[in-house]
Amino acid sequence: MRRHLLILLTVAVLLPSFAALVIGWVGVIEHQKAMEVVAQSYVKDLAQNFADRIEAGWETRTGFSRMERMMRFHRMSFDLSIPGWVAVVDSNGRLLLSTSGADILTTLWQQEIPIGSAVDVISSGGERFTLAAYPAGATGWFVIAAVSWNELLGPMLAFNRWPFYVGLTGLLGLLSVYALWRWLVSPLRFLEAEVSVLKWGKEVPVRDDPKAVFELRRLRQVLYQLALSAMERAKLMKRYVSDIVRVQEEERSKLAREIHDGPLQDVTALIQQLRLATSEVKREESVDRLHLAEEGAIHVVRELRSLCDELSPPWLDLGLAQALQELADRFSRHLGISVSLEVDGEIPLSREETLAFFRVVQEAVHNSFRHGNADSVVIRLFEEDGMAVLEVVDDGKGFDLEVDVESLRVSGHRGLANMNERMSLIGGTLDIKSTPGEGTTVRCSVPITSASA
Amino acid sequence: MAIRIVLADDHPLTRVGLRDYLLKEEDFELVGEASDGIEAGRLIESKKPDVALLDIRMPGESGVSLARKVRDLSPSTAVIMLTSYDAQQYVLSSLKAGAKGFVLKTTTPEDLARAIRIVASGGLYLDSEVSQAMESPGFSPENLSSREREVLVEAARGLSSKEIAGKLYISERTVQTHLGSIYDKLGARNKTEAMLLALKYGVVSLEELLE
Repeated sequence: MRRHLLILLTVAVLLPSFAALVIGWVGVIEHQKAMEVVAQSYVKDLAQNFADRIEAGWETRTGFSRMERMMRFHRMSFDLSIPGWVAVVDSNGRLLLSTSGADILTTLWQQEIPIGSAVDVISSGGERFTLAAYPAGATGWFVIAAVSWNELLGPMLAFNRWPFYVGLTGLLGLLSVYALWRWLVSPLRFLEAEVSVLKWGKEVPVRDDPKAVFELRRLRQVLYQLALSAMERAKLMKRYVSDIVRVQEEERSKLAREIHDGPLQDVTALIQQLRLATSEVKREESVDRLHLAEEGAIHVVRELRSLCDELSPPWLDLGLAQALQELADRFSRHLGISVSLEVDGEIPLSREETLAFFRVVQEAVHNSFRHGNADSVVIRLFEEDGMAVLEVVDDGKGFDLEVDVESLRVSGHRGLANMNERMSLIGGTLDIKSTPGEGTTVRCSVPITSASA
Repeated sequence: MAIRIVLADDHPLTRVGLRDYLLKEEDFELVGEASDGIEAGRLIESKKPDVALLDIRMPGESGVSLARKVRDLSPSTAVIMLTSYDAQQYVLSSLKAGAKGFVLKTTTPEDLARAIRIVASGGLYLDSEVSQAMESPGFSPENLSSREREVLVEAARGLSSKEIAGKLYISERTVQTHLGSIYDKLGARNKTEAMLLALKYGVVSLEELLE
């Protein structure tokens, strides 16, 4: 119902006005017909009535004086309260007696008008009259009675032009519906369709719609501004996130480098000195103590090494292929699953790209093991259509991709979102294909640029 | 005759330690010390030592890239790579660059001396801590078949299973089977370990594997 409200409203406005127009028109026609009958019988009665009262002898000069005739006539016409005229003419149409204003009747009087019945006559001025003539007794005169439609029906006559009004109303109605549709309904629907599929933060709607009414245009501009600021926010957010990732990565590699060049070397030197001291000491007890110290120091070296590996492994410097091989070897050693690497050819990658791919593989293999219960993971690195492509394919239990990355991020599972972030930072894309029970494929690619060569 | 040695390490404390290790051996002669890659290159060129101990991470030039140059600068010099890191890929990179030995800085004076003597006499030495991870005690490797040797050599050159299959006219599945059998025989868990162990046991030569 509400879905088609606009159409319903349009019809609801249009239909009653048409109905009123048609009913009014029918009413006018009916009324006009009734008035015709009334006017005809009226003029007939009037003419007959006058004719009956004109007695024989009126026609002779001796019977009545002219004055007397007029007095009698006027007395007769006093009770004439309906607009109309009565006149007495002789057989030649000459006016003998008339009520005031009845001069017009002589112009209407024509010989061919049948005696004793009412007819409609149109005057030379275009006015309509209903007129009846009756013989006045034996005098040889005629009584003519008439009413004017203009005076009788007045403004109602205007409705004689009903087809014009119906047409005009219909046209206006159609025009207003068209205007309503073109400037309000259609732009509104267009706006609704556009906004409903708009990716907020990524797209903006069309700024202006010159076909829409002012309010809609304003609304569109407001929406445009909103979308623009959403985009700004998204951009800021992205920059913010990328800054965090970059700074974090910088800090990590700086820390790893400092541990490697500082404490790790210092403790190594300490071990060397302990060993030298051990070889020079003769007392058994002291030798034991030195051995203990050495063991402790070696333990520290291993701790520091794994700390470096966790932060940012120095062997990343060897390039992606070797770093991934080392990572795969370590994963298979530590997790007890098969992690293999297949590299096709040499792919020139920048340090950032190497790091991004490395982190994606770290996360992906980790997920395969922890969430996918995979037994085997294959990492593939190859070139395809000018893109460096990395695939991590597992035979795990897979998952439902309906769960989108954003909602995972919101609920605190940052793994997938992080991989996505890493790739978008270097201008690459990440694509995850997974079917429950059929494993997962993480595929990421980045264009190979000459800058990274 | 004394073994003439150049030592390059940017960290002063560990360099002192290593120097003291070397000075304990009477037949070792330390002919030069460097604290960066460039200085080390100059020393090797001028002194033409029998053995060069190079840190992998050094300012100026890394040990790996310097090792590659040593073949030209002083062909008679055997390079031993020194590092704080046990990454197997470092070992492979070093060997590919022409190093004959790989020693962790935390090694004992005895092992360092042994490594120097082995490479000086033309041998190959890999630190026990790097290869220890690959061996279980009491394990002895079996001989590889000639087909397995071929597969291993091709795999070591960086070919994928598919490529090896194409090159040797066998199926990819057969390649996988061979690799599995190679790992079992050498006690390796992956390709890198298989390569390193094959080198260590002398199953394949360095030249064969890394050419």
